[in-house]
Amino acid sequence: MRRLCRGLLRLSAEVSEGLSIALGSLLGARLRSFLTTLGIVIGVMTVIAIVAIIQGLDAAFEEQVANLGAHTIYVSKYQWMSQGQGEWWLMRNRKDVGLRELEAVEREATLATAVSPQVNVLQGTVTQGDHELRGIRVTGTDTRYLDTSGGNVAAGRFLSQTDVDLSRASVVLGFAAGQRLFPGYEPEAILGHRVRIQGHVFTVVGTMARRGRLLDLDMDTIVFLPFTTFLRDLGGKRSLILAVSAAPGHIEELQDQLTGILRRVRAVPPDRKDDFACNKQEAFLRFYKQLTGALYAVAVAVGLITLVVGGIGIMNIMLVSVTERTREIGVRRALGARRRTILLQFLIESSVVATLGGAAGTALGLFAGELVALLTPLAARSTPAAVVLGLSFSAVVGLLFGSWPAWRAARLDPVEALRYE
Amino acid sequence: MSAEREEEGRGLGTPRQRAGEGEEGPSSPAWGQAGSAHRAEALPPLIVVENLHRHYLVGGETVRALDGVSFVVCRGEFLAIVGQSGSGKSTLMNLIGCLDTPTSGIYRLNGSDVEGLDDDALADLRNREIGFVFQTFQLLPRATALQNVELPLVYRGLPRRDRRARAAAALEAVGLANRMHHRPNELSGGQRQRVAVARALVGEPSLLLADEPTGNLDSATGEEIIRLFGELHARGHTILLVTHEPRLAARCPRAIRLSDGRIVGDGPGTEIAALGAARTVHAS
Repeated sequence: MRRLCRGLLRLSAEVSEGLSIALGSLLGARLRSFLTTLGIVIGVMTVIAIVAIIQGLDAAFEEQVANLGAHTIYVSKYQWMSQGQGEWWLMRNRKDVGLRELEAVEREATLATAVSPQVNVLQGTVTQGDHELRGIRVTGTDTRYLDTSGGNVAAGRFLSQTDVDLSRASVVLGFAAGQRLFPGYEPEAILGHRVRIQGHVFTVVGTMARRGRLLDLDMDTIVFLPFTTFLRDLGGKRSLILAVSAAPGHIEELQDQLTGILRRVRAVPPDRKDDFACNKQEAFLRFYKQLTGALYAVAVAVGLITLVVGGIGIMNIMLVSVTERTREIGVRRALGARRRTILLQFLIESSVVATLGGAAGTALGLFAGELVALLTPLAARSTPAAVVLGLSFSAVVGLLFGSWPAWRAARLDPVEALRYE
Repeated sequence: MSAEREEEGRGLGTPRQRAGEGEEGPSSPAWGQAGSAHRAEALPPLIVVENLHRHYLVGGETVRALDGVSFVVCRGEFLAIVGQSGSGKSTLMNLIGCLDTPTSGIYRLNGSDVEGLDDDALADLRNREIGFVFQTFQLLPRATALQNVELPLVYRGLPRRDRRARAAAALEAVGLANRMHHRPNELSGGQRQRVAVARALVGEPSLLLADEPTGNLDSATGEEIIRLFGELHARGHTILLVTHEPRLAARCPRAIRLSDGRIVGDGPGTEIAALGAARTVHAS
């Protein structure tokens, strides 16, 4: 007990002595300390900034995906984010999702809070006078689109049940589509005008408020037609997408119910897999996480390489420091410092240098992230975890790369060290 | 633990084991010549060296730096080890200072056999039993006098406050009370060596080991330091002085002369010094 107590006292005296030596030598050679830590500073800064930007992107993406509706399942014959051409051809050859499925879901899906059919032309052309919009999405749907898939009307109204029932030639323009087809018009002033969609004439009954982007899809250039009109004028041999919303927290149950209904309606034998897909926004998130995961890996790799370079810098300067202080080491050993004491002293010094560098790098990295966020459309988000990570990483680098010089210092023969010139 | 600390006392007082009761005052150039040897008989010896060898392998050839050295040093002695460079006195000093271990032979310091001790144990032994004074002072340049003197106590694990108090007392005792917060480069050579002496004494070691302590000082300052050693000896400290100067050896009650790794003379300082002088004259 007494020995342990003595040992602890001695250790604490050695650690505090080591700290004061480290600070003394840092302040004693400011320029050198600064240059030594520069590698670490840059390494940590890079990692922190990249991580902040990636996290900012993540957050922005999640916000975008939320546009799809967190509680909506998109039933389609295509699986989102599927990989490989073969799969796509397989899905293409599946039976189309049609009105029969829509009616069955409307009738039987008791967990659904809203159902809307959707059918798309992906590269549509819309013209108005001299203005032409190419490559925009034309969606045939009905009034329930707003419930399942979100969006707000800015002027006029959305598609009504009557539009659908009578297959009227009505159109609701996305915010940007309206702006580009009618430059300089107020949203209200666009109402009642005619546009040509895929050659057919439609009357504008409403315009949408701004919605933003979903990956590569500009939600603001979409134009909406009654799906009955769509099927009649733009082609009826298209597979529908059924957007089905659940009450919050019931999306899994809804998916089970929908699967049951669709398998029955589409007469899928029990031993076969589903010939349709229940898509959720999660699929996007999963896919996206894969992308940013790769980005993270690259960032971490770059950061590690820089940290290794910084670590080598620290090792180099610590070796110089050990050589310079050979006599000091000899004196300390003569006065009763154990090998361990010397080891500890130099380890403390290298990790203090590295951690200070890490702190500076963290601060600069966060600042750089904010700067990027300020100057570019990229967002940046800094988290406490990144700060902790930056500091602990640099401390570990200091310990790791300081250990060889420290070991060399500890191995010095006191007699030789005292005689060193 | 507290009892031990009290016993260790403060500053520069007397060493842990007194070298006897009736102490003599510091005055004459040769201190306690008659008394010390006889007085020490009763106590167990501080240093026992028996047939000590230290060989080095240099370029495939064995150099016998120490070739069978035996002697005993009692508590309270003031002993000089003289010899020309290459005589083996530095090697002997390193062995006695526990900085090095012998190739063969016995070395007992304060009752404990140094043979077989590991590196940590040697470090602890140095810390407790030996106070070093070096020719080149060997003070840490960035540390103040006080911090320099504190150092042995750091390695003993004393709390900061105790260290400060004892280091300050030690500096006071060598007459540097007003220089505590100066760095070595702000001190004169003599003051630096005084700081080194304070550092050697602050841990209350049983042996003060001085290696050419006047070698880097002018003669007046050297004289000051030698006088300081005399005072310390009078207070009961055991001092071992390694030097090449017969003049210094002559002032010690006892001296040992080394030549080619062997003892060629052991006796009163004046005699041994004369022996050296005769040899030198003879040689030239």
